[in-house]
This record gives sequence, structure tokens and C-alpha cells, in this order.
Amino acid sequence: MSVLDRKLLRDLWALRGQVLTIALLVAVGVAVLVMSVSSFLSLRGAQEAFYAESRFPDVFAKVKRAPRTLLAQIAEIPGVAVVEGRAGGEARVDWPGAEVPVAGRVLSLPTSEEKLALNRLRLIAGRLPEATRHDEAMIHAAFAEAWQVRPGDEIAVILNGRRERFRIAGIAHSPEFVFTSRPGSPLPDDRGFLVLWANEEAVARAFDMQGAFGEVVLTLAPGASEPAVIAELDRLLLPWGGTGAYGRRDQPSHRFLEDDLAEQRTMAVTVPLVFFGIAAFLLNVVLGRMVEAQREQVAALKALGYPSFQIAIHYAKFVAVICLLGSSLGIAVGAWRGVGMLENYRPFFRFPDMPYLLPAWLPLLAAAASFAVAMIGIFAALRRILRLPAAEGLRPAPPAAFGGRVLGGVGRRLAARTKIPLRGLLGRPLRTVLTVLGIALAVPMVVLGLFWWDALDSMVELQFDRIERGDAFVALTDPRPSRAVREMTLLPGVLAAEGQRIVPVRIRAAQRSHLLALTGLSAGAELRVPRDADLRSVPIPQEGLALSRRLAERLGVRAGDTVQVEVLEGARRVHDLPVAALVEDIIGFTALIEIGALNRLMREDDLVSHVALRVDPLAAEALWQRLAERPRVAAINVKAVWLRVFDEVIAGLVLTSAVALTGSGVIIAVGVVYNSARVALQERGWELASLRVLGFTRREVSRILLAELALAVLVAMPLGLVLAQWFVGLILGARDNESYDVPAVISTATFATAALVVLGSALASAVVVRRRIDRLDLIAALKAGD
Amino acid sequence: MTMAADAVPPASGPQATGTTPVFVARGLCKSYGSGDATVHALRELDLDIMQGEFVVLLGPSGSGKSTLLNILGGLDAPTSGRAAWRDHELTGADEAALTAYRREHVGFVFQFYNLIPSLTARENVELVAEISHAPMRPEEALALVGLSHRLDHFPGQLSGGEQQRVAVARAIVKRPDALLCDEPTGALDVETGKLVLSAIGRANREVGATTVVITHNAAIAGMADRVLRMGGGRIVAIERNARRLAPEELVW
Repeated sequence: MSVLDRKLLRDLWALRGQVLTIALLVAVGVAVLVMSVSSFLSLRGAQEAFYAESRFPDVFAKVKRAPRTLLAQIAEIPGVAVVEGRAGGEARVDWPGAEVPVAGRVLSLPTSEEKLALNRLRLIAGRLPEATRHDEAMIHAAFAEAWQVRPGDEIAVILNGRRERFRIAGIAHSPEFVFTSRPGSPLPDDRGFLVLWANEEAVARAFDMQGAFGEVVLTLAPGASEPAVIAELDRLLLPWGGTGAYGRRDQPSHRFLEDDLAEQRTMAVTVPLVFFGIAAFLLNVVLGRMVEAQREQVAALKALGYPSFQIAIHYAKFVAVICLLGSSLGIAVGAWRGVGMLENYRPFFRFPDMPYLLPAWLPLLAAAASFAVAMIGIFAALRRILRLPAAEGLRPAPPAAFGGRVLGGVGRRLAARTKIPLRGLLGRPLRTVLTVLGIALAVPMVVLGLFWWDALDSMVELQFDRIERGDAFVALTDPRPSRAVREMTLLPGVLAAEGQRIVPVRIRAAQRSHLLALTGLSAGAELRVPRDADLRSVPIPQEGLALSRRLAERLGVRAGDTVQVEVLEGARRVHDLPVAALVEDIIGFTALIEIGALNRLMREDDLVSHVALRVDPLAAEALWQRLAERPRVAAINVKAVWLRVFDEVIAGLVLTSAVALTGSGVIIAVGVVYNSARVALQERGWELASLRVLGFTRREVSRILLAELALAVLVAMPLGLVLAQWFVGLILGARDNESYDVPAVISTATFATAALVVLGSALASAVVVRRRIDRLDLIAALKAGD
Repeated sequence: MTMAADAVPPASGPQATGTTPVFVARGLCKSYGSGDATVHALRELDLDIMQGEFVVLLGPSGSGKSTLLNILGGLDAPTSGRAAWRDHELTGADEAALTAYRREHVGFVFQFYNLIPSLTARENVELVAEISHAPMRPEEALALVGLSHRLDHFPGQLSGGEQQRVAVARAIVKRPDALLCDEPTGALDVETGKLVLSAIGRANREVGATTVVITHNAAIAGMADRVLRMGGGRIVAIERNARRLAPEELVW
């Protein structure tokens, strides 16, 4: 071992405190990166594997009733690979335990020998229904797990008004239902929505579909054009009551899944980047100072004849050891937390398998990035020192040049003791800026984890308090005259009822289009109040549409522009409508129109398809049951359930990473502040010891140093709050998610917590520094200049 | 506690400058390490230094002079024996008492000046004046060392000799009872060194501070009332100068 290597080992040991804190900084950056990216890749991997294995279709369409012979024609459309038709429909589920009636979707399984060509089910318990049994069914794992249903249990479903009992033969996953949501609800709901598969004959009989199909799914051949296939499919289905074919992009489960994966990807990239960036900056500052402190040693090595290159290699090794330590720890913790995060995702993503994937490039990349960043950190400091003539480097660093203007006239009136910390900060502006910035960055580190709770609160308030003011939302089986609303008002427990007309539409603007529900609201609606960005209510425009701001951005339109609206119901007419107003929304995309105008577009009378209700909470449960029994009621969505689902699903998804981030943020915040204090002490130790020799008490000397730290913290705090707001905006700006919007809201409590963490770290660091000052070696201060 | 004059051992003897010993050391021992590696910095050292006396401690590196000065300055504690400043017992005193002792009675001058780089010459002196009972005006102290024209310069803007004179001014501004100088000219050339020594000499005369200067430069010995030569942790010889030379008269 060379002498330099022995020096390396001893230096590492002597500086072990700092080496450890810097390694921790590296570890946190690497851990967040490895955790986020690996858990995202695992999710993506699980999706791809499941989609491939189960042959998830590319195109989906519904018709009223089309003969099975049409399937052969569809198969001949150029670009179509595999076609499958099936019978299916909405159902109500008689599930005694549910406080709100359970909605269901019933789908047919091919008879006997035929196997599912597409959307193959993955059995996780029990078996397939026997081909000859019409009273056996499979149900989806989400509902089974939510209610602890097992094979052999029975379930009653109301199909087309007829009550049918099924014995559950098996439980399965399906790529169509990675997320299951009841009709009309933008959020997945495992407890309130059942997917049931039964033999084709049973389902066809129930929906009057013998020899016919009501749904068709298909895969595309490689290189086929989806829009071309969809156009041709629409043409074929139109005479049979087709409601418009759509691609995966508009398939509800896939859309929600993609949005979530996009969310996770954004989080997996932006958040670790911000974390890594901040950690890198701090690493840079801390390592730079550490090398600066070795200035005389570097100069001595140079004077002894060591070439600069060899000295640089020596310090590179020093950094490499720190990075190796930090990266190893970071990779281990990152992989461990990545597995944990995947476990947290498991209940939300209905994939049959979700293996943890950690590709080799990821830890290598993280370790290499941390090493590169650290090398940049020491490079500037090393170059400065290596450029000095050796003789100059050998002398103690010259006292910094403090200009006479620093503090100016004010300075005359201050005690000399007060001037030391002030000049310490003002006299070396670059160093002060770096220190203050370092401490300030600790604030966003904490906020980036915590603000998600605020954002979710604000989402709930905006969507479920300010916009959706009703307690429940009833979907009718088909549009009814508006007197249906008056009838509902008469039900016990209903305090108010308002009718809405909702039709599926495709909105187009230039090359962009979006499939969504167009909601017709009456002018004075109180149970659904559109709001603008300032939360003021926006009146329903008499002419044209009120569009969600986020949708308008996606379509690239502004208020005053015209969009094309294709109604995917009835005669499927196409209209050009102006965008009259923009409104805010959180969950899904909103498109509103005055209900009378909508009915005129449909060339229909005064019809409603949905009813919003305000309900007496005491009578609510009885009311849900009563509503469920009404033949015209297709589904009931209850706000309380939405809130619960929101809490469970979205909050669960978002907060999974937020918890991990908060932990890392606090570690970094504490590390930064502590390191700033320690470095300051290291730099000023000699000065402070001299003061002690001159008769200054420990308290007086501590005050001088701690005043500097306190001033830096004081300036850093407001800066940190501004930076936090900026970073939150940056991360949310990188999101691209239509299922839900996360507003950049940071509560005072979050800011206060972040500030307290930083102040607390500063205080704890101050205590440590104080104890070190008590142990300053006074005699050493007399001997040498460092 | 005050030592009675008759308790003073003949090795030190009563001094011309004053009749009362202010520093008293008896049987001072200081060792570092243990076993075979033990280093004895001081061995059974006895010493009296009189009020207002100018003492030069002369000796090679490792002779124990710095250790002695550190103990007299309340910066270090002996392994055994005792040291006192007037009625202040320095051995066994706690940290707070030693800090108060340094603050009230002692002025230090160090080999490497130890000025605060972010304070001007005047402010470096003010720094100590602010914590003293009846200090001189900082300008007055700087005038004593001949630096009236450099009041508002920062240490980085001063030469080594000027920095050391600021350090002397800082040491004397509090009108210390004792002025302890550790190699004050060690880092300076002859002419600059003489300027610093003359500042220390003036302080000794005009402030009346009992002055102890450590050096391994025998030429400085001419300035002293008494020269104590140290070797192996003991005082090996004592010389008394009939006449104190002015720094300008020193030859080295």
C-alpha cells in the first residue's frame, strides 16, 4: 500500500463524522432514485406481462344488438388480428352487506371447448364454470377480496329486471379490470362494483342476445392503423346501434392505470431528480470545503514533487470511498423500500403477479451519478489549490480580504463581537450564499413529502365540497322525462333533486380528441356548481360549452374557440360548439352544457338521464335501498363512498411515496443544517480558540459562531419556503394525468412543520457545536494557523 | 492566597523590579502519555516572578517553556505541583475561573498573531476592550505600538510585523497584570521583530505588566530583567541583566 493510500485511510478515519454524513447524503439521493424507479419499473413490468399473457385488446366497442355473423366481417377489416364478440350488460347486485347498492357488470364466457381469445382471465381461486351449468359464475378478484368472497359462495344479480342466483366457481383477474369502477364514477371502487362472468347461454338469455353480441373487442395486426380500424368498425356497427369504438386510451381501466403509471413515472423521475439534485449540490458544497481545508496538505504534497495528477487521483479515491459507502447503503435501502412500495401498491393494482424488478443498470447509474457529482464538487476546489504556487499554499490561508465598505457606517456603532458573525456572512458572499442555499433547500426536502396531504385535502374540498354539492347521484336506465326528478323529490329522505342529462361524446379540436361524458345542467343548478380558478361559481353558458381548463389545455383550445362535438348516442350527430367558459375540476374531465341546449342538440324533449340528490343523512341508507328497487334506476353513486374510495385509492397511491419522501427529506434537512454548522466550526475553530485564550467565555464564543448560523437560518427560512413552492410547482407541472389533478397547495401547517424540522436541526446542531466549542483545544490555537 | 516572601526559595530570589512575587510555581510537573512513551515536559519546577518583572524564557524546542507559559496563562494544568497568580490558585481551578483569570489579568501574544480576519486592527483591539474592566482606548493601545495610521486596516491588509503589533495592542489594551508572549518574533524578520519587541517593552514599562516572553532566540535575552534558561523540563540557569537593553540595541 502506498503512503498516499495510508494517508487516505487515516484521513477517512479522522474525518469519519463528516465522511459518514456525506455518505448518508449520497445514500438518500441514491435510495430515493432506486426506490422510485424500481417500483415504477416493476409496476410497468407487471402491466406489460399481464397484458401480453392475457391478450388485452386494442379496440373496444358496444352495440345495442348485432348478429354474430357480423364478427366475420369485422375480422376482415384490414389490420384486425383477432376479434371476439360477447354478450354483456349492466346489472344490480343484491349484496346484503353493502350500505350502498352494488353495481355490476356481467359478461359472457365462450361456451364449452372455445377458450377466450382475448381478455383471458387469470384464475386465482376455484375453477372455470362448467360448460353445461348456467348457474355458475366467475367473479373478479377485486370484489372477492373486498368482501372475502370464496368459491362456493352464492351471489344474486338482477339482470334486466330478473333476479338470478349464481354459485361462484372461481375468482379471476382480468386485464380489462385492473381498476374496477362503477358506471358514472370516475374512481375505482372494489366494494361497490362487481364483475361477473357466466356461460354465454346464461348471459345471452338474460340480455336477449341469443345469436347476437353486444360488445366486441379486437387486437390489431402489427403496423395496423388504429383510427382506420376504428372508423371501419364504427361504419359496420352503426346500423346495429354502435356507440363508437375506442382504443385502449379510452378504456376506463387502462386509462386510469396509464394515468397512475404516468403519475408514478413522473414521481419516479422528477422527485428523485430534485432530491438527487439537491443532494448533489450539498455534496458539492461540503466536499469542496473539505478539500479546501486540506489546502496546506495539498501544497505540501506538491512541494514534495507529487504531480498534480497523482494528487487529484488521491482525492478522487477519497470521494470514491465515500460514494461507494453511500451508494451501497442507498442501493440496499432503495431496493428494500422499493419492495415495500410495491407491496403498498399491491392492493390498488389488480395484477395477478407483481414481481419486484431491479435492473442492473439502475444501481450502477445511481452510483455513477453520485460519483460524478461528487467529483465535480472536489474538482473546483482541487484546481484552485493545485494552481497556487506551492509556497503560497503552504502558508496558512491568507485572511480573507474584507473590504472597508462591509457594514459601512452602521458598523461603527456595533460591538466588535457582533461584527464577527456579520462580517463572516457579508464578507464572503459566495460562501454565504451557498450556506444559506444549502439550509434553504432543506425546507423543500421536507415539504416535497408533506405537501401531498395538503394537496389531497384541497382536492377533496374542491371536488366534493365546492363542485359536487349533492350527496348522491342516480343514473337512470335510459333518459326519462324531467318529471322523473319530481317523483324522486317525493321519496322520503330526499331534500332536493336536480336532473342532469349526460351523453357520451367525443370532442375534437384540430388533430386532438377526447372521449368523455357531456353533462347537461340546468341554469340554476345548486347540486353541481361549476367553479372558476378563483372558486367563484360559473353560470352555465346559454350558448356553447363550459370546458374543464385541463381538458381545454389538452385539446389546445381557449374560451371563444370552437370544438367539434360528436354525440356517441342515438343518431350520433356532429355539432360545432363554442367554448364559452373554462371551469376547474379535479377528478376526470368536465364538459358542461345547458340541459335544454343539449336536449335540442339531441333533438329530444325535456329528458334527464341522471339525478343529483341532497339527502337527509338519517334516512340515507333506507333511501339507497328504496332507490335500488326502482326499475328505472341503473346505478347509485354516493358521495360518501367516493370520499372513502378517494381516501383509499388515490390517497393510498399518492401517499405511499409521500411517506418515503418525507422520511428522506427530514434526513437530508437534518444533515444539511448539521453539516453547515460543523463546517463553520471547522473553519472557525482556530479563531474561536484564540478568542477563548483571550478570555472570552465559552458562552460568548459559542454566541459568535451560533449567531452566524442563526442569521443564515433566518435568511434561509423564507427563501426555503419560496423554493418549496417552486419545487412543488415543478413536480406537479411535470404530471400528465387526466384522471385527477393535484393542485399545488401547501398549507401553513406543512410550511410550519418544514420550518420546525429545519429549526430543530439547527438547534440540535447548535447544541453539538456548543459542546465542541467547550472542548476546543486552546493550546493548539497558539501553535499553528489551522 | 499570597505567598510570604520568606517562602521563596533561594533559586529565584527577590527581584529588583518588585519585591512581591506575582507568579509562584512549586514542584510543577507535566507529563504526557504513559509507560515508556511518557514525555516529561516539566520536572519539579520552582519559580517566582516578581511584580512588573520582564522575564525571558530561553531554551531549545522541547525544553518545557511553552508548557510553563501555558500553565501560567491558565491554558493548561500541571500533572502535579502548584501554580498561582497572586491569590488566584491556578492549579485545580475550574474552566470558568481560568477564563475569568485570563480575561481580567492576562494579555497574550502568539507566534501566529491569531487576529480575527474579519475585524480591522481597531476592532480586533476593541474586541478585548469590550470585555475588560478599565481598558485603554483602542486607538491609544494602537498608538503605543506605533500603528495609529493603520487603524481601519484588516489583518489581510497588514504586514506580519504590523499584525503582530496589533496583537500586542490587543494584549495590552486591557492594562493586563501579566503579558505572556509565546515566540512573538518567531515568524518575523529582525527589523520587524525589533519593532514588536519594542512594543512589548513599552507595554511592560508603561502599563507595568509583568511580562514573560518565550523565545529560542538568545539575542532577545538582553531586554529582560532576568533570563531563565530551560532544559529538560527544568530551569537550568538564571541570569540577571544589570541593564535592560532597548530592542534597537539587540544584535542577532
